[in-house]
Amino acid sequence: MGKRMLLGAAAVAVLVGGTAQAAEKIAVGHLADYTGATSSVGKIYGQGVADAMAYINKNGGLAGAELAYETVDYSYEVPRAISTYKKWTGDDKVAAIQGWGTGDTEALVSFVAKDKIPYFSGSYSGHLTDPNGKNVKAAPYNFFYGPSYSDGCRALVEWAGEDWKAKGGSGKPKFVHMGDNHPYPNAPKAACAAYAKDKGFDVLEPIQYSLKPGDFKAQCLSLKDSAANYAYLANTAGSTISLLKSCETVGVNTQFMGNVWGIDETSMKAAGEAATGMVWVVGSATWQDDAPGMKLVREISKMSDPSGQEYRAVHYMRGICSVYYMKEAMEIAKQSGKVTGEAIKQAMYQKKDWVPAGLEGVCLPSGWTPDDHRGTTQVLVYQADTKGGKTDMKKVYTANIPRNPEWLGQ
Amino acid sequence: MAATTSMMRCGEFKTSYAKDTTIFPTPMSRNFAILAVLLLLIAPLQIGDFQFLSRYQINLLIQIGYYSIAALGLNILVGCTGQISLGHAAFFGFGAFSSAWLSNNTGIPVFFTIPLAGLMTTAVGLIFGVPAARIKGLYLAIATFASQFILEDFFARADWFTGGSAGAMAMPFTLFGHELSGDRSYFYVVLAYLVVMFICGANLLRSRDGRAFVAVRDHYLSAEVMGINLTKYRILSFGVASFFAGIGGALYGHYLGYVSAEGFSILLSIQFLGMIIIGGLGSVMGTIMGTAFMVLLPEVMEFGASGLSGVAPGLTDGLAFLKEAAIGLAIILFLIFEPDGLAHRWKMTKAYWKLYPFSY
Repeated sequence: MGKRMLLGAAAVAVLVGGTAQAAEKIAVGHLADYTGATSSVGKIYGQGVADAMAYINKNGGLAGAELAYETVDYSYEVPRAISTYKKWTGDDKVAAIQGWGTGDTEALVSFVAKDKIPYFSGSYSGHLTDPNGKNVKAAPYNFFYGPSYSDGCRALVEWAGEDWKAKGGSGKPKFVHMGDNHPYPNAPKAACAAYAKDKGFDVLEPIQYSLKPGDFKAQCLSLKDSAANYAYLANTAGSTISLLKSCETVGVNTQFMGNVWGIDETSMKAAGEAATGMVWVVGSATWQDDAPGMKLVREISKMSDPSGQEYRAVHYMRGICSVYYMKEAMEIAKQSGKVTGEAIKQAMYQKKDWVPAGLEGVCLPSGWTPDDHRGTTQVLVYQADTKGGKTDMKKVYTANIPRNPEWLGQ
Repeated sequence: MAATTSMMRCGEFKTSYAKDTTIFPTPMSRNFAILAVLLLLIAPLQIGDFQFLSRYQINLLIQIGYYSIAALGLNILVGCTGQISLGHAAFFGFGAFSSAWLSNNTGIPVFFTIPLAGLMTTAVGLIFGVPAARIKGLYLAIATFASQFILEDFFARADWFTGGSAGAMAMPFTLFGHELSGDRSYFYVVLAYLVVMFICGANLLRSRDGRAFVAVRDHYLSAEVMGINLTKYRILSFGVASFFAGIGGALYGHYLGYVSAEGFSILLSIQFLGMIIIGGLGSVMGTIMGTAFMVLLPEVMEFGASGLSGVAPGLTDGLAFLKEAAIGLAIILFLIFEPDGLAHRWKMTKAYWKLYPFSY
């Protein structure tokens, strides 16, 4: 009898929930890489995005409206991303998309501009920051939370310059870009090389290694021969682990610097001592931090981990930030009428240097303007310490990259 | 060739060689084919809120269309000429990039760049087909494997032609200044190409060259004794296969609007082989059946898995794996139980009903 009562109550709850859901729905597409070349970080970020949207729905949605989101794992294959996009813009059009990779995001730039769908990507390619096409192809509907890859790399070059001085290096330090021949690692290549040259670095020929983890001893030997002092690793964490391990075997003395997706706590553990000393870009608070906004982050984390025990690596927080900026823009759009793509885009411009409510101290203050889609140019540089099985990291540098107008879109 | 002999009703017999080589064995089968095309012509129509097929279903039909065209090329090469190619996806990709490059850089309208892309791909296919003049079997398979990797690497590096790793935009198809870019209108472009290419393919097999292909496959030594130039026909077969692949690829490129180097991996080459094996080697109609099977199988799997997800929640998580596994399983099962493919099964079914209830 008790069981039947419970079932009945559940049925009523489902019915009530069902009618509440039927009230209003805002369709959102979520493109994630859970099984492809970048899945090592794609899983962490994608989980952050999915948890954040689930949490918003559980807590009343957007002023009563539910986020009807669909998560699609496209395995980091551009054609699959495009066919998914076509599906989402078919009979029921999504209001916004939470995307992922650089290849697919850059391929979709003109599609989302034509269909007027704000696209919040996991790609921070500098090419996506120029809404009016002053320097490169216009990307009016592309947004991302975090410093662009180019600005991140510039910050690392700044750090390297100071590190070189601090260590008492003489002559010109040598800088090398390492990454796959793929839109994502290529995105900051030219911009960062130009900046390094300006800062007095000797810029070497880039070294290519695959985004898919593998054996990279050949590349490590080239790196050793080149005697580079600073190597910028433009791939994602899975590939970084392989490279660090291969280079440890070969005996490379280069200082490694990673992109924002280059490494995280999970991959530090996998790379072991090979990761010690590596610096990389972090774009939000970390799981160990005590920022006020971390309380909300931990609640969101419980959506997929009710025990609250799971450790979330740095990418998770950026996934949440990406969703919450979209959420606040949708709320502003909703106040003034319908939540359309155009309205969301305009709402993104309403505030200056803001942090979504509840995430204070987690997301870096960001602001977008109709002429500049660089949300933030502040870059936090962290250094890994994995000696003796630790996975520690500490902030070693904060750079504020100037909003140079010539750098827009690069 | 049991698979191609057709079942005819009592009293129907052929009195001339021409009648024996008609595309459609009976008037009935021709009428059915015409009816199918007519039905497809009205399929994408949308009258007010009413629609025969949803946009997603149209999308699947378009996929079947451009893949079928490319698969027919491979079927002529593998099923009819007895050669092997593990690089068909690369030629498919070359067609897509060629058409995008032509329309972006020369100002030639997409209407013309699609056949031109077919010709460019033919030229490349003829070059990569040269090893076929000397080697056979597994050795040829590995040689064509090389073409897959050479072309894939070319796509990722040739910035001037493919846009390199960033890929290339492909302009929408226009006809008399009218843009046919939505699924519902692009469907007609693919359908038109499908009909034309399949009539060409079927007619090719009825011609002297087509018979030479089959002779090369069935017994190359006898064919040579009969005066067939083996080198010429083997390389020509690669050229023809590449032409079909190029047309299919170009249609694909302009459909997506964007061509990326990643889309044409060895996996797609294997899938093309899967399509023709499942459909029936050497069968024109089997090619469409096999392609439809390969395109629809993952969709059916997805539909089935989401339906079962209430019962077995773990099923949706393993869906990506299930889809790939299902394709592999389908190929194995077909090789064991139906080596002549779907086309043969279809003939058996027809024969069963024609003889019903006195089948033996």
